[in-house]
Amino acid sequence: MVAVKELCKSLVQPLLAVFIGLLTGAVVIAAVGESIIGTYQELWKGAFGSFYFFSSTLARATPIMLIALGLALAFRAGVFNLGAEGQMVLGAISATLVAIYLPAPGIVKMLAALVTGIAMGGLWSLMAGYMEAKFRIPLLISTLLLNYIAVLFASYLVTEPFQDKGGSAALAQTVMLDKSIWLPKLFAGMSVHAGFLIALAAALLLFWVLRFTPFGYEVKMLGQNPFFAQYGGIQRIKVMLTGMFASGAFAGLAGTVEVLGSHYRFVDGALTVPNFAWTGLMATLLANSNPIGVIFTSILLAAFQTGAMGVERNTEVPLELASVIQAVLILFISAKFSYTWWKQRKKKGGNTHGVA
Amino acid sequence: MVHRLEMREMTKKYGDFTANDKVSITLGEGEVHAIVGENGAGKTTLMRMLYGMEQPTSGEMVLHGKPVVFRGPDDAIRHGIGMVHQHFMLFGEFSVAENIVIGYEPSKSGFFQRKEAVAKVRELSEQYRIPVDPLARVASCSIGEQQRVEILKVLYQGADIIVLDEPTAVLTPLEVKDLLKTIRHLADSGKSVILITHKLQEVMEVADRITVLRGGKVTGSVAKEETDVDDLARLMVGRELQQLSERLPLDGKPLLQVENLTIRDKQLLLDRVSFAVHHGEIVGIAGVSGNGQSELLQAISGLRTVQEGTVRLGGVDVTNQSVAKIRETGLSHIPEDRYLWGAAKTESVEENALMGYQRKAAYNRRGVIARDAFRRVVQEWVKRFAIKTGSRQLQEQAGNLSGGNLQKLIVARELGHQTAFLMAAEPTRGVDIGAMEYIHQALIEKRNSGDGILLVSSELSEILALSDRILVMYKGKIAGELSRAEASEEKISVLMAGGSIHGSSQRAM
Amino acid sequence: MEWLDWSLISSTIRMVTPILLAALGGALCSRVGIFNVGLEGLILVGAFSAIVGNHFTGSLILAVLIAAAASVLFSLLFSYMTIGLKANEIVVGVAINFLALGITTFALRAIFDVKGAFYDKDMAGLPRLEIPLIHDIPVVCEIISGHSPLVYLAFLAAILLYIFLYRTVTGFRVLAVGMNPVAARSLGLKATRLQVMAILLCGVLCGVAGAQLSLGQVTMFTEGMTAGRGFIALVAMMMGQSHPLGILASSLLFGFMDALSIRLQGFSIPTQFTSMLPYVLTIAAMFFLKEKNRGVGSNQ
Repeated sequence: MVAVKELCKSLVQPLLAVFIGLLTGAVVIAAVGESIIGTYQELWKGAFGSFYFFSSTLARATPIMLIALGLALAFRAGVFNLGAEGQMVLGAISATLVAIYLPAPGIVKMLAALVTGIAMGGLWSLMAGYMEAKFRIPLLISTLLLNYIAVLFASYLVTEPFQDKGGSAALAQTVMLDKSIWLPKLFAGMSVHAGFLIALAAALLLFWVLRFTPFGYEVKMLGQNPFFAQYGGIQRIKVMLTGMFASGAFAGLAGTVEVLGSHYRFVDGALTVPNFAWTGLMATLLANSNPIGVIFTSILLAAFQTGAMGVERNTEVPLELASVIQAVLILFISAKFSYTWWKQRKKKGGNTHGVA
Repeated sequence: MVHRLEMREMTKKYGDFTANDKVSITLGEGEVHAIVGENGAGKTTLMRMLYGMEQPTSGEMVLHGKPVVFRGPDDAIRHGIGMVHQHFMLFGEFSVAENIVIGYEPSKSGFFQRKEAVAKVRELSEQYRIPVDPLARVASCSIGEQQRVEILKVLYQGADIIVLDEPTAVLTPLEVKDLLKTIRHLADSGKSVILITHKLQEVMEVADRITVLRGGKVTGSVAKEETDVDDLARLMVGRELQQLSERLPLDGKPLLQVENLTIRDKQLLLDRVSFAVHHGEIVGIAGVSGNGQSELLQAISGLRTVQEGTVRLGGVDVTNQSVAKIRETGLSHIPEDRYLWGAAKTESVEENALMGYQRKAAYNRRGVIARDAFRRVVQEWVKRFAIKTGSRQLQEQAGNLSGGNLQKLIVARELGHQTAFLMAAEPTRGVDIGAMEYIHQALIEKRNSGDGILLVSSELSEILALSDRILVMYKGKIAGELSRAEASEEKISVLMAGGSIHGSSQRAM
Repeated sequence: MEWLDWSLISSTIRMVTPILLAALGGALCSRVGIFNVGLEGLILVGAFSAIVGNHFTGSLILAVLIAAAASVLFSLLFSYMTIGLKANEIVVGVAINFLALGITTFALRAIFDVKGAFYDKDMAGLPRLEIPLIHDIPVVCEIISGHSPLVYLAFLAAILLYIFLYRTVTGFRVLAVGMNPVAARSLGLKATRLQVMAILLCGVLCGVAGAQLSLGQVTMFTEGMTAGRGFIALVAMMMGQSHPLGILASSLLFGFMDALSIRLQGFSIPTQFTSMLPYVLTIAAMFFLKEKNRGVGSNQ
């Protein structure tokens, strides 16, 4: 009961923000001189218009969802991890290399790749956490900087030592993975793959952990008031580091399933150009860090992106329509109006009796 | 006769709650007018309206015979009203002179004339006999100096009416004496002073006129000559205070043993502090805040590392252990600042109550917190301490509870751990009388059941009412120890100010 | 050491300009208690608007003004969201970055009908100023002379900001608002107004930074051409403790690393490693950054 109520509560503001986002989109479309309704119809069709498009939307939502789940955990603990991109890329490249070079049967290799992806993403993130705990280097900055380093390093690996030299054009990518390692598609000929199920299961697991276990309680209290948490015996650094590792691990898993389920090789830029990491961040913010909410917001944002591709195919409106709508969404989700804003105002008045 | 200031039938409502109900006061030239009342009586609300920080629901203010409305503090300042807040409004990194002139800086075509500011501050300081060093950085000034900076600031702003909100709470007895002298001097030079306080001795010493508030209403307004401390106390509380339970004579074994505890952080914060708390005993630590009490509490509870010395709890060495470990060994802790350390304002009553219980076997079913079992326990606490949680009961946000009710929740939570040792820091700061009685009674009962309590409080009356033994802290050291029988407000005051008393042992073991 | 010569210093001065300008803007925000993660987006908007302004007006002065105005518009949005609607400043900053990237790319298609980059060979970039007096002094001339006016403006801005903060009354109040907003309000200082003013000024500085990027260093606009400079500016701001002269020093360090990484590309080191250099060194530098900037919290 409480869970359902909380879910509804966490959905009010997103819906309002979606509305304002679409309104802004309408202005932008009008500015290019296209039909607003027509464009939005194309947007809808591109995302949900057929089972094929719908499955593409789900496939795109998969890495976004995983990243968003990791960030939801970090944000709950009050830790601002902006390094999902680097964690994802590093997890993906490590997993790919294991999948290519580990001498083992297919299924073992696949599992080894998944574990490696998770571990590398987690460790990269843990490093930033450690630097904050030990040397007080702000996470906000270190995670951002580590992104560039990880992405450039991965790019180096696939342009130099591990480049696929076989093709005629020397693209920056690894060789194709063996078919036995591929994550199976859920429907023949469709893009959505088993990674989506992994993401769904992860969302449910995270929801359970955060809501019912002592660890979830500790994460939440640390995020709400770190002093109170410490006073109560919660080990701030331990929970923070665990949170950082877990959120990085989710990002690493995101990159890994994207490689094993969609690209079947590590292609330089294939994970960064679609902006999975920042979209994941937005999905978390939209869902107010609620893991179940993240399922919906990830699909929603993915739908904007796949929909916008449809828009670009069939109208004169550029693809970036999606970025504009998304950014406005986030701007308005972060504003504390609607009832949250109202409640804050009321509380301000209410608090003053304590002072009198 | 035209008064300098009249506040007529001031009423302020927050929703259903009436903070001020038709409060009227008058203030003449050269008058010191004390407004006294318990926490929550409405003193601060009244002053916030006078200072333009709140708009009254109804009522009017008349200044020099003319009705006025203040839209904000700057408006009030322009009309000659100055406020020295309880929590100083200072800029630590700025100099004393900069803090005094801010908002009305001497300038030449937009450039700040700092030399001129220093000269003006010197002049003002001499005129009103309030000594300060204009060039000192405020963060490095003592609390007493900072308060003088605040007073000079309102004088610089040209205030004729100076409001002092609980000015003596943070001062040493010696500084209090100086402050009272300053207040008298200001009044004699024609300023009017409004003094907000709940310390009746001081009121009788310095005020000309006294208005007593209770529950947002005026219960009396009298000239000093016509009243006395007992009279005022009756008006303030409105009923006889409940008697605390008898304290049973107990002679217990040592429970908490602190030896040579030393903390250094750039400077010496705790200096070889040694004492013990026994079973069935309340040991009170008195002292002006900022003399090492916070550090001592944090060191014992594991929130701060110590450089030297040991802390033993029930015979177990817990020096520099984690908070969780120390709590497990047998510590519960009512923290000194309930909003900073004691609660998460944005979380529910239930979540706040759960802190420290989340991993206890009794509330754990296969890795999951047993919410139902725990909720029943919290409901017990709510009943026992008469905690008013509001309409959403256990799901109400903790920040929406009044100070007293939140404090009762924290006390209930910590008592619920049923540890032999409890640290209670400022357990009744800022709570109403009803809550205070509940909390004091609970502490006495815990003592009578054979547990040990370390009580830290800056309220001498609380220390004297509860403690079996009293230690006084001064500059990070135990300055002296007094037994319950020999303790008196005067003796403690002397020790708090760094003096010494004959016949009291300096070793506090 | 053939890669180390005087022109490296000269290119440092050129590279440092956008970072310095944006970091000064960020410092203004942090001085009033606001951590502005949106610098990256503000620069990008400035860079794009400068090109648009130049394209349609043909005037470089107008182009720079338009760049500043566009960034101010975005910082107005930032201040309305953070101060007016009390939204989390980091979230808003991230959103501003996104919006800037989306809108500039979108408008690039809508206005110029190109994808990726816009380049017009007839478009004039910012002129290079030859400083008359030092013209004949060999090394000094090479370093100091021959930059775009905005480069000199950036260094001037650092000094002006210093004078503003530490010598003027308004600057004094700006510092007060950042140090203790509650106290500032209780004095009747217009804290909100000062905060908004600081954010808008930050917009101007970032807009000019963008103009230097698109009209000073090159004469073109490419999608996301800021390439993390806004974030580097943030780090420079933190390293410089939000003090104008400290920022000048830390920005020069980053500018130098930027210039160095470009210089090293001519050698047999993989480009990824040379591009990585500024970030690695920044992290290394932060180990020595003892006093933490107050504006940064890890709390959401």
